[in-house]
Amino acid sequence: MSDHILEVENLSVEFSTYGGNVKAVRGVSFNVNRGQTLAIVGESGCGKSVTVQAIMGIIPMPPGRITGGSAKLNGHELLGLSSKEANKFRGIQIGMIFQDPMTSLNPTMTIGDQIAETLMVHRGKSHSQALKQAVDLLEKTHIPEARKRVKQYPFEFSGGMLQRAMIAQSLACKPSILIADEPTTALDVTIQAQILELMAELQRTENMSIILITHDLAVVARMADEVAVMYAGQIVETGSVDDIFYESSHPYTLGLKSAMPSNTGSREKKLTPINGSPPDLFSPPQGCGYFTRCPYAMRLCDKKQPINFVVRGKQNHRSRCWLQHGDAPEVAAIHQNNSGQSRAD
Amino acid sequence: MLAYTLKRLLAGVITVWFIATATFIAMHMVPGDPLMNDKAVSAEIRKNLEQKYGLDKPVTEQYFIYLGNMLRGDFGISFTQQNRRVNDIIRDHFPVSATLGLLAIFFAATGGVLWGALTAIYRNRMPDIIIMFLVILGISVPSFVFAALGQLMLVNINSMLGYSLIPVAGWGTFAHMLMPSLVLGLGTMAFLTRLMRSSMLEVVNADYIKTARAKGLSPVRIFFRHQLRNAILPVITVLGPSIAAITTGGFVVELVFAIPGLGRYFVQAVQQLDYTVIMGTTVFYGAFLVFMVIIVDILYGFVDPRVRLE
Repeated sequence: MSDHILEVENLSVEFSTYGGNVKAVRGVSFNVNRGQTLAIVGESGCGKSVTVQAIMGIIPMPPGRITGGSAKLNGHELLGLSSKEANKFRGIQIGMIFQDPMTSLNPTMTIGDQIAETLMVHRGKSHSQALKQAVDLLEKTHIPEARKRVKQYPFEFSGGMLQRAMIAQSLACKPSILIADEPTTALDVTIQAQILELMAELQRTENMSIILITHDLAVVARMADEVAVMYAGQIVETGSVDDIFYESSHPYTLGLKSAMPSNTGSREKKLTPINGSPPDLFSPPQGCGYFTRCPYAMRLCDKKQPINFVVRGKQNHRSRCWLQHGDAPEVAAIHQNNSGQSRAD
Repeated sequence: MLAYTLKRLLAGVITVWFIATATFIAMHMVPGDPLMNDKAVSAEIRKNLEQKYGLDKPVTEQYFIYLGNMLRGDFGISFTQQNRRVNDIIRDHFPVSATLGLLAIFFAATGGVLWGALTAIYRNRMPDIIIMFLVILGISVPSFVFAALGQLMLVNINSMLGYSLIPVAGWGTFAHMLMPSLVLGLGTMAFLTRLMRSSMLEVVNADYIKTARAKGLSPVRIFFRHQLRNAILPVITVLGPSIAAITTGGFVVELVFAIPGLGRYFVQAVQQLDYTVIMGTTVFYGAFLVFMVIIVDILYGFVDPRVRLE
């Protein structure tokens, strides 16, 4: 058995709209290691959520369409399954939590019933057994007075508590992998920290892998083992969290980092935004998607898709950038160790 | 929940009082009085009659006498029908109207939810297009047209069979009730179908449906346990006003199908300025509607837990 629990290869997703086909995800490949956290980071609309929803099989089809690739969980193909087949792993081997806990739970069902439902459907438990286990799950996610709380409805919970309940629900069948789609974006900062802490704790005790989707580099620095940086439907750079933060090799990663506020820098230091906007995914560019915004762009970048280069001989650190080619000019920011820049925390 | 119910009941009582007062004022502003319909009577007889019925007293006094009687549950005696108390008229004919109305509501609600859910599932495909076309028809064609068409259909069916499978008009058995209540509920059914459809489509895209799918629930379970219950909320909200629409619409349908309901007396009384019958039937209908709306509101609390606590 490999130490990859999930292997995604060349995944492509399109949406047909009135304006044409949007190529939302264009050949994404990544692996998730057992018991580790992979963070997928990128700006809004880069295809992070679509990628994981495609793996879960919860993209609305139509208009969505998976046009290619594979996703293997412990060697079993997940893409193209019927909903009946897919339900043998959804909620059982893969749990998922979403961005907005306020709207992600059914407003007309009690929290307990919603957690119990998973157990009743997948584990064949009776309602009372399942409810009892729901109390345990709520306690595991540190919800006080869990016995009382199971009987309450989502509107009686705060945002942070709801996200805890969502986590409890997704853990019901002890999944080996948890997908968290921007789990803290809708929460305020202190609650955010608590939820991340809870996820890290549960990862240790339950020994599960996490795919964490976020646009917040601070969250990445705190949680991730591996990082995949996504841009315009592609993964432009992958590597360990240290590779990405200290040895960034893709201009977009560098751009993200310098656009991130820091509390160690001086007050006068201004943030540097990335100018321009991402390419139109109705007709993706022939060359590199970052070409128009890249300060180091070469003529080649506009013509040809960069290949996935190995960075500095580290097999796990890859960068989809022509600057990694042997014939490319030296760019100081990329080719020298850039650990001078501080990490988020 | 109890406080909520009591509050609603109190508001209901005030509403009914308001209906009674408004009806009383409107009725007395119409020129003439119930005694004018009869053949010319001498001034003396007329005076005696007025005295007997209390019509010689000032209007305000009449109003308080009337309210007092009503509180005791006595609506008085009809001016135009021989020896008939308004209470008897209501007791004899209201159950007929109520049966017709409730059956119509039943058809409208179940049909609306069913067709609405169906159109949402088959969105923009053939079943949706056909049903939505019929819905437009159901909303825009008045009920007396459907009533006549329904009767025509029954006549054809019966003459084809050679015996009377479903009676064309009249009242008495369950078979009598089918066509009129269907016709009566049709407009509301069409309206509820449209409401249910849009509500379903909204719920389909809700985040908690995505959650339900990520939980690995079967599509059937998601539909019944997560979608339907949330989508049905707006339908229940308009059920109260729908009951009002159906009961008032009932007058016409009762007439076409020769059903001995309260509607006929209601209309007749207005034409003849039969004070007691107008007041009695209006206040009674008003109270009935207010009561039904309260029932619907309480029902809503059971379906939507968010309403219960307020």
